[in-house]
This record gives sequence, structure tokens and C-alpha cells, in this order.
Amino acid sequence: MATLRDIKRRIVGVKNTQQITKAMKMVAAARLKRAQDNMLAAKPYSQKVAEVLSNLIRSENNISNPLFVEREVKKIAVVLLTSDRGLCGGFNMNAIRKAQELIQKKYKSLVDNNSLSLYCVGKKGNDFFKKNFDNVSGSYPGIFSELKFEFASSMVTDFVNKFLKGEIDKVVVVYNQFKSVVQQEVVEEQLLPILPFETSEEDSASNTEFIFEPDKISIINSLLPKHLNAQFWKALLESYAAELGARMTAMDMATENAKEIIRSLQIKYNKERQAAITKEILEIVSGANALKSA
Amino acid sequence: MKTLKVEVITPSKKAYKGEVFSITVPGSKGNFQVLYNHAPILSSLEIGKVKIVEKEGAEPQFFAISGGTVEVLNNKVLILAESFEAKSEIDVERAEKSKQRAEARISSKKKEIDLTRAEISLKRAINRLKIAKS
Repeated sequence: MATLRDIKRRIVGVKNTQQITKAMKMVAAARLKRAQDNMLAAKPYSQKVAEVLSNLIRSENNISNPLFVEREVKKIAVVLLTSDRGLCGGFNMNAIRKAQELIQKKYKSLVDNNSLSLYCVGKKGNDFFKKNFDNVSGSYPGIFSELKFEFASSMVTDFVNKFLKGEIDKVVVVYNQFKSVVQQEVVEEQLLPILPFETSEEDSASNTEFIFEPDKISIINSLLPKHLNAQFWKALLESYAAELGARMTAMDMATENAKEIIRSLQIKYNKERQAAITKEILEIVSGANALKSA
Repeated sequence: MKTLKVEVITPSKKAYKGEVFSITVPGSKGNFQVLYNHAPILSSLEIGKVKIVEKEGAEPQFFAISGGTVEVLNNKVLILAESFEAKSEIDVERAEKSKQRAEARISSKKKEIDLTRAEISLKRAINRLKIAKS
């Protein structure tokens, strides 16, 4: 049976934990704000690049850029985005599970031929697959604390080069998409070959006679890698924002739980205390009675 | 006022927005200046210098750009670039370092080094330094 002292000590312990989770929630919320701002700031760029590209492509019928060519997939690269730190609920596990599903089911035949290479961005994914999968081709821990566009572009350049050389036939990115602060969704997004652009609504630009310098095809060719950079950059930013959102939610729940535990411990403590007092009174009374009757 | 609406967008922010008198960009077929009523043009840009004159006769402002695309349509100039920095924003120390790194890479002549990439990064660094010191 727990003594009063034990219970008191536990209450203090839980209170300390609660303070930490509360602080972590607050930090995550502040960072989340910044991450969301970055996400918003990146949007116009990727949108505009895609817009200009799709306009160009629509007006040009015979595009022969190799980045569009679907080949038979003999070698595939899977890029997994996870976080560097834990305590963010199911965030990492969901992404890892998705990646594992791809490895064990969708691309199983490729794995058997040793033709699936896994790139882990973020420490958690790397920690997991280092033990469970023997073809981790690249790991990039610790980039989220200071996210740089150069990182995205250098990784994409690598993939593009490998794709053009025929070392990889397909590149997919597995990451947590930021739906809302409390909601993340793990998605598998194809980076290469580039998926055809949705031909959206006609806009005025396509009716205007443009001068193209040097020419349409070269502009398309120079924009395509930029489009990929922007796409991957967006995935990184989203994943980071999703991580912080998940951490915030997880820490909020932990704080709530701590509150609940403290409440029930407090009740238990009060009851115990009451019982102890009653017992003492009983002892005194019965002692006094014994003296009287003697 | 006959002005151009200029917008420069990079992956991290809107780097520039304003009404200007003229803008000179490093097109892939040579520098060209855009003034009011320029014909619609879509051009890719090289690593180089962007010169913006906000008002006729005013001091020009200089920016370092690491390639991109420019679209001119109906007196709106839209530049999409992966980096775009005003002269005062350039981190000279960082550019200096990346220049040294790129040079070391190129001269090391190791096989696994991606020469084109090193050359591009050298070009960018030199461009930044040139603009910062001009």
C-alpha cells in the first residue's frame, strides 16, 4: 500500500513532467508558426514555375525532354522524410510504416534484386532502416533545424543526374503531408519521371505572342529541374511543419493526461489522508475508553 | 508614370516587388533591358547581375541572381529565381568560402566529383563577390 509520502512524491513527479510537455508544446507551436510561414512563402514560386511550364508545354507539342520519359522501372529510389527528434506521436512511425509497405509489397520484386535504394532524410527513419534494411544509400540527419534550399536542390540534382544516366528509373518521396495543424497524411509522391502537368484553365498568356529566348525548348529544359527542386523543397517544408504540428498535438495530449493523473492521484492522496486521520482518532478514542472502563 | 510592375519570386520569399522605370537582366542570349511597353518575352536567365532603376535618373540598384526565368507581359515583369540578393544582402564570407571550396573541388580532379556542378557553384560565388564589391 502506497504511503502518503509516496503519493505526494508521485504527484510532484507528474507535475514536473507536465511542465516539460507544456513547454515542449509551446516551443513546437512557435516553430510551427515559422514553418507554416515558410511553407506559404514557398508556394508562389512553385506555383509560378508550374504555371509557366504548363503554359509552355501546352503550346509545344513535341517535347522530348528525357525527364518525362516513363521507362520500365528496374531501379527505384525511395526518399523517406522523417524528423530528427521524437516525441511527436505517430509522425515518424506512420512514414516509416508506409516506406516499409512499399519495400515489402509494392516494390518487393525490386528489393529482391537489390534495386531499391532508400534515402533517409531525418534521423528517425535512418535509425529504423539501418537495422531493418540493408540498402540505405544515403542518410541526411539534422537538416531540419536549419532547412536550406540548397539541400533540396543538391539532392534533386543528384537524382536527375542518376536518372539521366539510367542508374535510376523512378524516384518517389514518402513524407507526411501537412493537412492542418492536427492532421498529417503520409503520401507517396513521384518525383521522377515528371508526371504530365494538368492542363488547367486557359489563361491569357497562351494567346499572346511571346518572344522566346533562346527558344521554347531550352526554356522548358531549364525550368524542369527548377520545378523538381521546388517540388522537393515543398515536400521538405511540409514534412517539417507536419512534424511540429504532430509534436504540438502529442505534447498537448500528454499535458492533458498529466493533468488527469494528477487529479486522480490527488483524490487518492486525500482519501488516504482521511483514512489515516480516522484511524488515529479511533485509536485515541478506544484508548481513552479503555482507560475509563478500567 | 509609365512604370513596370516587377516581381521577383524565390523559393523562400518574394524577394522584390515594386514599380520600376527599367530593369536589366542577364538573359541567356545576353543582357537586355526592359522598359515600359516591352514586347512580351519569356527568357531564361544566366547567373549574373540584375540592375533595377526605380525612377528615371535614379541610382540603379544591383542584385545577384543565380539563373532563372523572366516573363514580361503587359508591363509586368515576373522573375523566377532560386536566389536573388540585393548587393547589401550578400554574405561575402559565405561566398568567399564557397568559392574556395569549388576551386578546390575543380583542381582536385577526382573522378567522383561532379565538375559541372562545381563550376556552377564557382560561378555563383564569383558573381556574388563581384556584385558585393562593385
